[in-house]
Amino acid sequence: MTEKPVAVLALYPSAQALLDAVPRVRERGLGRLEAYTPFPVHGLDEALGLKRSPLGAMVFGMGILGAFLALVFQWWTSAVDYPVRIGGKALFSWQAFVPIMFEVMVLLAAFTAGLGMLFLLNRLPWFGHPILHTRAIAAITRDRFALAIEADGGELDVEAAREALAAAGGEAVEVVHAYTAPEGKRTVFPWREVAGVLVACIVAGVVTFYGIRLFPVLPPMGHMEVQNKAVAFRGMRSPVAGTVARGHLPLPVADVGEADAVLVNPLPRTPETLARGRLRYEQSCELCHGPLGQGKTALSEAYQAQPANLQSATIRDYGDGRLFYVVSYGFSNMPGYAVDLSVDDRWAAVHYVRALQRSQNAREEDLP
Amino acid sequence: MSHEAVLQALEPMPLVEGEVTPASLDDQVLAFPERKPPRAWFIAFAVTSAIFLVGVALIGYSFYRGVGVWGNNSPVFWGFPIVNFVFWVGIGHAGTLISAILFIFRKRWRNAIARFAEAMTLFALACAAIFPLIHVGRPWFAYWLFPYPNERALWVNFRSPLLWDVFAVSTYFSVSLLFWYLGMVPDLASMRERTRSKFRRFFYTVFSLGWRGSSRNWRHFEKAYLLLAGLATGLVLSVHSVVSFDFAVSVVPGWHMTIFPPYFVTGAIFAGFAMVVLVLAPVRRIMNLTNLITMHHLEVMNKVILAMACLMGYSYFMEGFTAWYSQNIFIHHIFARYVTGPYGWAGILTLTCNVLIPQLLWVRRFRRSIPVMIFVSVAVTVGMWFERFVIFLVSLHQDFLPSSWGFYKPTLVDYGILLGSFGLFFTLVLLFARMLPVIATTEVKVDLPGSQPVHQHPGDHHD
Repeated sequence: MTEKPVAVLALYPSAQALLDAVPRVRERGLGRLEAYTPFPVHGLDEALGLKRSPLGAMVFGMGILGAFLALVFQWWTSAVDYPVRIGGKALFSWQAFVPIMFEVMVLLAAFTAGLGMLFLLNRLPWFGHPILHTRAIAAITRDRFALAIEADGGELDVEAAREALAAAGGEAVEVVHAYTAPEGKRTVFPWREVAGVLVACIVAGVVTFYGIRLFPVLPPMGHMEVQNKAVAFRGMRSPVAGTVARGHLPLPVADVGEADAVLVNPLPRTPETLARGRLRYEQSCELCHGPLGQGKTALSEAYQAQPANLQSATIRDYGDGRLFYVVSYGFSNMPGYAVDLSVDDRWAAVHYVRALQRSQNAREEDLP
Repeated sequence: MSHEAVLQALEPMPLVEGEVTPASLDDQVLAFPERKPPRAWFIAFAVTSAIFLVGVALIGYSFYRGVGVWGNNSPVFWGFPIVNFVFWVGIGHAGTLISAILFIFRKRWRNAIARFAEAMTLFALACAAIFPLIHVGRPWFAYWLFPYPNERALWVNFRSPLLWDVFAVSTYFSVSLLFWYLGMVPDLASMRERTRSKFRRFFYTVFSLGWRGSSRNWRHFEKAYLLLAGLATGLVLSVHSVVSFDFAVSVVPGWHMTIFPPYFVTGAIFAGFAMVVLVLAPVRRIMNLTNLITMHHLEVMNKVILAMACLMGYSYFMEGFTAWYSQNIFIHHIFARYVTGPYGWAGILTLTCNVLIPQLLWVRRFRRSIPVMIFVSVAVTVGMWFERFVIFLVSLHQDFLPSSWGFYKPTLVDYGILLGSFGLFFTLVLLFARMLPVIATTEVKVDLPGSQPVHQHPGDHHD
């Protein structure tokens, strides 16, 4: 024990004895006084001259901040970034935002109260605190009350402190030294064990991840995606056997190859048809194929998808019938749109796709 | 009543029986994790965890086959999952009420039961969380419920009560967990110092964060505990109100009522207290805690149950009156369905269990009788489950158009998952009883006779 003593500590049998001892030791002015008790003792803060905890103001501030942040966030998402009108209500309908403001206020305030108290004000966790390594700590957490004179930066007069504590009725006076970890161990906190648990978690995660990849015990969950596969002319329920739903006559074509030969666009190419086709294109096609049909959108990038480029030479050479067939039945990853778009809507969309193609490959006579 | 009898009734009840000192308290309560559990514990654990595994297996089956294996179908899309969710969230309310509201009111008898009740809150919320998760059908996408920046450039709809519910329940769980843990830190420090097992010492060292009981720490700790109690008080009242908004904000007859929030909160406290009595009555005997959780504690809780039963009766009456006064044939129809027709038995059962049977507790002898209070608690638990069943399912199965009426019938899988949630709850209770301090020893020590200084110094405040 070559280090300087940091505190002298004595045990008292009851809260009353501790409280009686505090003023007697305090008037000697030997250092910073600190009491260690198994439970909060009434009147001890005043006897030690401790200030009120600032926690109330912190919690109040964070609560207000939480409510404010929740309001701003809900306003920004609902009225600015993603304005969707729901139930005919104003985009910034603050009344509906109150419950979440309240919850976020409580959440922030409670975390400030709990974690702020532990980590900020009390500076926990502190596994190397000298008091934790005294003989007295077992009694302190059980039923004894300790008073300590601590060095507080300056020199500690050990003999005077010892005498003052004993004179005030203290027993088992103990000189406390700064904590030094035993040989081969740096701190009392079991870093090695915690690190071991972390490494074990990571190893287990990696093994599980690649284990499942290499040995697929679980088959790919294809059966759960049934609802996503659009079966043409069928909604969630099968039609009554032997009937055809109105507006859903089957196409007289068995194969995509025959489509051009059999199907002819019945709609005239008028401004009204093009407007209708444009509307349907924007609603159903544009999300993947893009506004100009080039097959490049933010969505296709995000999902690594490759929607067809409608401006490509191949597709420009397709006949109207073939385009109509693909819109109806789908192609590759693209689902059929027969359920969403009526026959005329699909033909109008085909007209609009032709117009789009022409717009990007204009001939000289197209110029006015 | 004579003069003496009145004075005697006004005496504050003793918080403990026999002589209890801080040291004896530690030796009694904190010693459980150090001892090998009795054989009965292992048997109970095997039974509850087997029941839990049945639930897990059936949830797995539901995912494999799809949620079509449940009874949910048009028009009752909210079947057992919503009933069980609201039931379990309600059970959780007693813990926070005991630990927070009774703390604010300085009801010192709460100290002995607060820890157990708070733990039950957390376990009940864990059970509750299962049901919305499995009900969405694809629980691996459950994080979509939270507003986070995503590649779909979408935000959640903050005007929906279902989203408020997500925030309310998750906040409630976080704050309850914090409150429970915070109160436990000094107890864990005591266990850290007394344990001889190296493994447990590691565990308690980490989780007690090096708590050393210094008066500067206590000063902040007490303040934090008081503030958390205040915050949790607002929270406990808000959570079940928000849960009731799921229904009250809709226009379904039988749901669209202004009485729903207070009515739900009352029911939640009612069900929660019944569950606390149901668990503590046997636990105090089995774990030899009868001197700490005394008959007085149970009696006070039974009084709360009685008061809540009367409030429930008033709520039912008021709900019926509002329905009648509305002069709306759809609401009249649904309310008639609550006690007549194919689901009528469930409504009658609810009224019997929640209003009639608890009236037994007016008799002092019954309030202090273990068999009677267990009977009443079981009745209340059953009754409160069926209350949710009646409110949610009856309103849904017949709506405005008779052509879209239907009948809801749960399947065996539904019952199995409900049973499994009880298995999870009691498994967690059993683990808690053997691993952590079941009584908040620090809080009980504060109020033991003779533990606080008698005479104080000038300028001190008096409690």
